[in-house]
Amino acid sequence: MRVGRGLSRSSSRPLARSSVPWLYLAPALVVLGGLLLYPVYQLGLISFFQYTQAQVSGGQPTTFEGLANYREIFSDSQFWQVLLATVLFAAACVVSTLSVGCALAVLLTRVRALPRLALMLAALGAWATPAVTGSTVWLLLFDPDFGPVNRVLGLGDHSWTYGRLSAFLLVLLEVVWCSFPFVMVTVYAGIRAVPAEVLEAASLDGASQLRVWRSVLAPMLRPILVVVTIQSVIWDFKVFTQIYVMTNGGGIAGQNLTLNVYAYQQAFASSQYSLGSAIGIVMLLILLAVTLVYLRLLRRQGEEL
Amino acid sequence: MSGNVVQRVQRVQGVRGVRRFVRRPWRLAAEVSALVIAAVVAFPLYWMVLSAFKPAGEIESSEPRPWTLEPSLDSFRRVFGQQEFGRYFLNSLVVACSVVVVSALIAFLAATAVTRFRFRFRTTLLIMFLVAQMVPVEALTIPLFFQMRDFGLLNTLGSLILPHIAFSLPFAIWMLRGFVKAVPEALEEAAYIDGASRSRFLWQILFPLVFPGLVATSVFSFISAWNDFLFAKSFIISDTSQSTLPMALLVFYKPDDPDWGGVMAASTVMTIPVLVFFVLVQRRLVSGLGGAVKD
Amino acid sequence: MKLSVRSARLVASVAALALAGLTATACAPETSDNSSSGKDEQTGTLRVWLFQEVGNTPKEKVVTSVVDAFEKAHKGAEVKIEYIPVETRAQRIKAAFNDPKSAPDLIEYGNTDTAGYVADGGLLDITKEFSAWGEASDTDPTARQSVTVDGKVYGAPFFVGVRALYYRTDVFKELGLEVPKTMAELTDTAHRIRAARPDLYGLVVGGAYTYGAMPFVWANGGELATGRGGSYASAIDSAASRKGIKAYTSLFGDDNCPAAKCAGMGGNDTITAFAAGKAGMAIGGDFSHTAVEAGKVKGEYAVVPLPGVEAGSVAPAFAGGNNLGVLNSTSHRTLAVDLMEQLASKKTQAELFDAMGFLPTFADTRDAVARKQPYVAPFVKTLAAGTKFVPASPAWSQIDSSLVLPTMFQEIVSGKKDVAAASADAAKKMDAAFGSVG
Repeated sequence: MRVGRGLSRSSSRPLARSSVPWLYLAPALVVLGGLLLYPVYQLGLISFFQYTQAQVSGGQPTTFEGLANYREIFSDSQFWQVLLATVLFAAACVVSTLSVGCALAVLLTRVRALPRLALMLAALGAWATPAVTGSTVWLLLFDPDFGPVNRVLGLGDHSWTYGRLSAFLLVLLEVVWCSFPFVMVTVYAGIRAVPAEVLEAASLDGASQLRVWRSVLAPMLRPILVVVTIQSVIWDFKVFTQIYVMTNGGGIAGQNLTLNVYAYQQAFASSQYSLGSAIGIVMLLILLAVTLVYLRLLRRQGEEL
Repeated sequence: MSGNVVQRVQRVQGVRGVRRFVRRPWRLAAEVSALVIAAVVAFPLYWMVLSAFKPAGEIESSEPRPWTLEPSLDSFRRVFGQQEFGRYFLNSLVVACSVVVVSALIAFLAATAVTRFRFRFRTTLLIMFLVAQMVPVEALTIPLFFQMRDFGLLNTLGSLILPHIAFSLPFAIWMLRGFVKAVPEALEEAAYIDGASRSRFLWQILFPLVFPGLVATSVFSFISAWNDFLFAKSFIISDTSQSTLPMALLVFYKPDDPDWGGVMAASTVMTIPVLVFFVLVQRRLVSGLGGAVKD
Repeated sequence: MKLSVRSARLVASVAALALAGLTATACAPETSDNSSSGKDEQTGTLRVWLFQEVGNTPKEKVVTSVVDAFEKAHKGAEVKIEYIPVETRAQRIKAAFNDPKSAPDLIEYGNTDTAGYVADGGLLDITKEFSAWGEASDTDPTARQSVTVDGKVYGAPFFVGVRALYYRTDVFKELGLEVPKTMAELTDTAHRIRAARPDLYGLVVGGAYTYGAMPFVWANGGELATGRGGSYASAIDSAASRKGIKAYTSLFGDDNCPAAKCAGMGGNDTITAFAAGKAGMAIGGDFSHTAVEAGKVKGEYAVVPLPGVEAGSVAPAFAGGNNLGVLNSTSHRTLAVDLMEQLASKKTQAELFDAMGFLPTFADTRDAVARKQPYVAPFVKTLAAGTKFVPASPAWSQIDSSLVLPTMFQEIVSGKKDVAAASADAAKKMDAAFGSVG
């Protein structure tokens, strides 16, 4: 991912005037500034105020609370529990999604057109399914009474959503199902872009599959792997619909809450908008830290944005 | 690439026939497993369509069967029989298409700026575009609600289109960079030597070349706008003529008595257009996403 | 590369554009002005939100006939009814409070939300109109209480709902069981059904079924909270309340209703299970009658009041139900109040009872329908035995929607905490909520 810098280096060409990039960026900046940055600013603001439904609808005045909302969530043991669950769950999702996606991408390159088309279409189908629907279908498949999965596995009326781990596992399966296609298609496209001869030469040289992958493919695919990893981290950390629908808003006694759902429940179910906002801000900061650390590691290894 | 590789490549071309023969059992195994995996991945979709066609009562049967002997269109009738279903469909299409077109254009410009120019704050901006994707959408519903109200957009499709453009932009810009970069700089220089103006190069040369990439990134904006029900639920307060498809789907989600047939039929109806779109752009998608790595 | 003056200006103007017009209030989060519009137009469109019930068509029929008559009587007034899904009602109604422009004029709301909505500034004080309304004097006191906050009236009761014990007559006959007369007998009967018929739940219960659980607490002398007039303190961790909680949660287990299945159930799930013939007994409301009638068990069940601790007593039931209220932001006050009175009138309530089985809020109308439909008798008897209501505090909406009590029951049932710890936690959360509004 190196930047084409030939044009911009010389200043004589019309495209290279320094105002031009800003002109091109203007529409994006206006939209993002107005509809993303400003709401985030509002979110941060709300997190410092006492802001419940009564304040929102003008029944009571808003009052500045300083860091009280943050103090409240940090002193709540449930918050830490949810945070830990979120991190572990997101990590499990990222690792599973990436490994399934990459493995299947490699598989795609090894098969002829018909099986490739079949797998591709199935994956695109999973990708196209709305999250709400995907979650419902998976619930129906694993339903203790009406689902075929328990019947096939001979589990009787075992309830998948009762245990904390099994509920998380069920959600994980659904998340992997609907997010591996992105990884698979992207990595597959990346492998295809690698000249076939290079691969064949390597494998003919007697290098094992693993070695081919490690010393030939991985370096060439690195930029694409960076992209899918960052995207997976971002998406999986924010999994919302699946948890919300499949564990009915956070599971038995809130055991399957993740930060995003927890924030939503605080904000909308309990009308504690300020607490929900504070959790949202904390989440944003965590994601930011993770990504920046990751980017820094990359840069140290010589990658450039 | 070293000369070593070139030699190997020549060797490869010589023995290709033999190699194919040797590898056959392995490939067969790979193909069988690809088909099996495809079946597993497709199974939930199959179950969705199947449940949509099952007659009432058969979905909640304690003997689930992977087929149905009396396929029925009742569930689809309930879906299409909803008030103004065609309207919802059209609304969803309007929202998704506006988001796709507008965000593609804006992202194209922005991606050109960050890949073909070097300027101060470039890296900062790139990181900002990344950070922008991390914003938890659910938490932003409240501030966005007030903003849409101040714009006077609540209860209109505009309140869905605008936020979706904003939320799909960062990812689109991030993905498009690779495509813009892949266009050789020599082409740009040649265009200027021929006397092309900046905007002529941008729209008549660069744009068509990046188009496959635009299609690939559009898939993401399309899906997120098409499938969204969070904004629709929050911003379309009382005007049902501005409802979108996911809202029509939610009607069947009564927690006390969920109408699984209706849910599955509505989901099928919702998924099909996206799937068709996918299949149409499949080639482009793969070659497009591949373009992102061709350095 | 250096930023030229021109581009610097561009950046500045971009930033200005992005923020201009958005920062209406400089440094405080936005709120909405929800004060009444003061207008009282006599023509135009009245928007009405009613709840979408299970099997809503009969309700729509009754409402449509009322609306037709109303439109005929008021030239130039048009009524638009929308049936909103019950589960998203909280969000929809809050959104309506936040954006008066798209808000309806008249809404149906659950009576436990009255205090919360009033504190939010969403409902119109109609004390004047209510006392002038001829039929209001026959409203039963419990129902009247449910529209009253601090002596002011914020709506008209639409129907009341109480829960009683549904049981399977065929199962009881087959196993030779008697109808339980005390709570201890109830538990015992449940266990015996499960033991003899392992395919059935004895008494189907739900970890998220607060209003099915509360009678157990109340019958044992427990309370949700004590206090009056705005300041409440939770009593859910008192000794008596704990006894009731223990009685209810002991029903979860393989000998009655396995926790793996029942912990996640809400009230409607238990009724669905009973209607599908999967339970020997269930705690259901008069409003569940239609659903049970439509199920497998039609003709094979009967209803009695839920027994209390002493033989012959009735466990206090929660007096649920819905009200109609006019929104503060309406610009059609007279029309909206008039339509509300038409929809909540004795005549409409009697029709709605025939259509949906909703119990009327007027004592005389209720007695009249009870004579017509004998199945109502156990519910009327339960009402007469004395009912309980949730604390009339705006905090209740919050306690209810943040699932304090379901979480408590689920923690106990799934073995995460014992009764003492879980109820103490719940009490702490409730007190925090009461404190935040006091």
